[in-house]
Amino acid sequence: MTDNSCTVISSGSRGNKLLFRYPFQRVAEYPSSLTAKQRNPYALNTAGDGLEDQDGDSRYKLCLIFLLKRFSDIILSTILATKSDMCGKKFELKIDNVRFVGHPTLLQHPPVIQVSKTDPSPKREMPTMILFNVVFALRTNADPSVISCMHNLSRRIAIALQHEERRCQYLTREAKLMLAAQDEITTMTEMDGSPQSPFRQILPKCKLARDLKEAYDSLCTTGVVRLHINNWLEVSFCLPHKIHRIGSNYIPPEALERSLKAIRPYHALLLLESEKALLSQLPLDCSPAMVRLIKTSSAMKNLQQLAQDADLALLQIFQIAAHLVYWGKAIIIYPLCENNVYMLSPHANISLYSPLAEHFTQHFPGYDLPSMLAKFSLPVSLAEFRNPLEAPAQEAYLIQMVVWMLQHHLLIQLHTYVCLLVPPSEEEPGLRDEDLPLAARVGGRSLSTPSALSFGSPTSSDDMTLTSPSMDNSSAELLPGGDSPLNKRMTETLLASLSEHERQVILNIPAAQNPEDLRMFARLLHYFRGHHHLEEIMYNENMRRSQLKTLLDKFRSVLVVTNHEDPIISIFQSPME
Amino acid sequence: MTIRFRMNSRIECIFFSEFHPTLGPKITYQVPEEYISRELFDTVQVYIITKPELQNKLITVTAMGKKLIGCPVCIEHKKYSRNALLFNLGLVCDAQTNTCALEPIVKKLSGYLTTLELESGFISKEESKHKLLPIMSTLLEELNATGACTLPIDESNTIHLKLIQLRKDPPIVQEYDVPVFTQCKDHFIKSQWDLTTQQILPYIDGFRHIQKISAEADVELNLVRIAVQNLLYYGVVTLVSIFQYSNVYCTTPKVQSLIDDKSIQEECLNYVTKQGHKRASLRDVFQLYCGLSPGTTVRDLCSRYSLQLQNVDERRLIQFGLMKSLIRRLQKYPVKVIRDERSRPPRLYTGCHSYDEICCKTGITYKELDERLENDSNIVICWK
Repeated sequence: MTDNSCTVISSGSRGNKLLFRYPFQRVAEYPSSLTAKQRNPYALNTAGDGLEDQDGDSRYKLCLIFLLKRFSDIILSTILATKSDMCGKKFELKIDNVRFVGHPTLLQHPPVIQVSKTDPSPKREMPTMILFNVVFALRTNADPSVISCMHNLSRRIAIALQHEERRCQYLTREAKLMLAAQDEITTMTEMDGSPQSPFRQILPKCKLARDLKEAYDSLCTTGVVRLHINNWLEVSFCLPHKIHRIGSNYIPPEALERSLKAIRPYHALLLLESEKALLSQLPLDCSPAMVRLIKTSSAMKNLQQLAQDADLALLQIFQIAAHLVYWGKAIIIYPLCENNVYMLSPHANISLYSPLAEHFTQHFPGYDLPSMLAKFSLPVSLAEFRNPLEAPAQEAYLIQMVVWMLQHHLLIQLHTYVCLLVPPSEEEPGLRDEDLPLAARVGGRSLSTPSALSFGSPTSSDDMTLTSPSMDNSSAELLPGGDSPLNKRMTETLLASLSEHERQVILNIPAAQNPEDLRMFARLLHYFRGHHHLEEIMYNENMRRSQLKTLLDKFRSVLVVTNHEDPIISIFQSPME
Repeated sequence: MTIRFRMNSRIECIFFSEFHPTLGPKITYQVPEEYISRELFDTVQVYIITKPELQNKLITVTAMGKKLIGCPVCIEHKKYSRNALLFNLGLVCDAQTNTCALEPIVKKLSGYLTTLELESGFISKEESKHKLLPIMSTLLEELNATGACTLPIDESNTIHLKLIQLRKDPPIVQEYDVPVFTQCKDHFIKSQWDLTTQQILPYIDGFRHIQKISAEADVELNLVRIAVQNLLYYGVVTLVSIFQYSNVYCTTPKVQSLIDDKSIQEECLNYVTKQGHKRASLRDVFQLYCGLSPGTTVRDLCSRYSLQLQNVDERRLIQFGLMKSLIRRLQKYPVKVIRDERSRPPRLYTGCHSYDEICCKTGITYKELDERLENDSNIVICWK
């Protein structure tokens, strides 16, 4: 699934030239009958096809070296140096099993050769480069989103190179070095007949070649690329498919994006690394807001509190949080508190011999992971797990363990969801009432944060309109004062979305005789569609848990309650299959 | 069972391109006419009529919002001007289309044309070359409509083409998995399938697990696994876990779809209602699903919700819930956490093997396993 090779092509007055490729063709490792010039299109064809790679990247890389042997350098330069009308756009070409992705870039202004007055050497004619293309070769069964990401990287590198070329002819200079090295090798090969890869010789001489090699190596290992083109311009990129992996599953970028668009101010940000480690990874010119956020964040603070503590706008918090999540440095959870109920994630690795188990024991000496995980076999609240009979220091220790387990995707949090389902009437055929349950009828009230987080480009300006939840999303505040006609009318309106039968049943409930209770019930009616958990209702309506639970108990004959994970943030603990 | 055809990749255009001795690379025919602009062809011609190294390879190039898939052919012979005939019959789709399924078609077409040319000079002779145009029209129409095309070209040659939809690799089937038909078993056309599948078919009832099917149908275990995996690939069956009254399940967020989605509702109520009884009510069924939670066995559910279960078959309830991912099974995993240095490392009690698996592999029952492990203080049980 990952990339497999990196090539730079340039096209100019001297025709098309392959400047550099990595990995090299390891000609020396083949039987002596093969030289760099010979093509053997059938060599190891069977080894190439049918290698079903699950996660063995080294096997994967090797596979592609064989495949690329089918393409000589000359042919690569022909097919990958495109016409100028393909420039500035995504370039995608598939040949048999190999897919090439790139972003051909035009260099409009031919480089001006600076001649210093004191330099006595004669003017040398530099090749005029018209366009260049940084191409990645991938396996064809790569997910389309992987291909998009690789194109993104190619484009970023191209932008940086184009900039540096215009500023100081960086690309021309590097190209010259590459071509010179290639010429050198060709002469050497002709003389003593030993085949060598010219590209290997380029590495020590050429910074750009080393950068490209580094990009390739990083992509294959961590999925995070950080280059400094010409030691000046930074190109940073991450491949979400490599970063967001839980076991053998990866979180598809679209799912990640959907999740981030749906987070609410009552969610919290959980950093996956220590504050110190994270801060040390930030570039020197990173935004101070990011630093403030990292320093003030905590697993127990929700995003709204974080905004207040870090003295940043909620909008900014959302953006920075999304950025950290995208780069695999944080996840979204519900803030830690007493009443949180946790259970083992179905994807948790509970093996005795897993690296996680060892890790855990190093972190928490004297405890073993499987035993602690066993405690979460049944849903247990944080309060129960903590065991208040223990010393406070012990309690804090146990909280730390829960945080560790959340960071390592071992636990899911369960929330309670409520659904209004009235018993069908005796007289009418049952179907009529089941026809359109409340959920389908009460349409249109969007209770999620209407954010438009643009994904993957942290510097783009996002058009986000955030409404304060306590204003728009909570239902209209009803005036206190029991039975006032205004209140009565409002209650009636709210109950109007119900069918006659439903209304009757509800009004017959003993608790409905109390106008306060009925009013509260009517007010919360739109939450009872099974999509809003108790914590959300509490946050939006500014209610205490005990209040809410009492109400639900009073009206239990028409409500069905169930517990499961919050689908919005559950992808961080158990990716969808 | 008829596998329903779904057209995901619409072909916008079919073109025939060749290297003209004087004019160079050009498009000789295209259906519909004028689809590929002069500009587009200029940009991509190097990938259509190619250098020798790229001949006979499937080449897909994306440009100007279109994807062109072709396979350049070169036939060398003295009789041709320039000693070689170069041509390429390709397809054009929208750039966003997933064209993997079309590739074998293009490859096959290039093979057909090569054969026709070698046998009777089909392409190099002007009279027969004209026939290409109506052939291409028919291909375009039929492939888009039904995904298949059978077209006689001349007395001895007929083109047979079929679009095969590529599917995701199916998971490995374990001996403790239970296959269940996703659609009515009556729609299954036995004769279309291989002998092994035909033999195990009567034993797939949504309750028998692989090991049992193997024993009762008298087919070797691995053959059964492969046959079921094949059925999985085509979406004919899906896998659920063994049903026992001691099983524990819990709801997933998807359970709400029973309320939101009318079609799933209908399907569910039809599926779970006891034979010959009044149709179960949504409320009862939903309450039953919501009654499933960690710590509650199916037996507990039956005693707590006996009223709701009057019209509901609990086994089919669970089956449906698992098939549609409304609920999931909580499996037990024993882990031996304390052991002294001298004893052997645990083989099965490592947290990687569920009770289902252990019982299947060792032949002991759940009850026996429970008794053994409950009294062992070195072992913890994890549910997930």
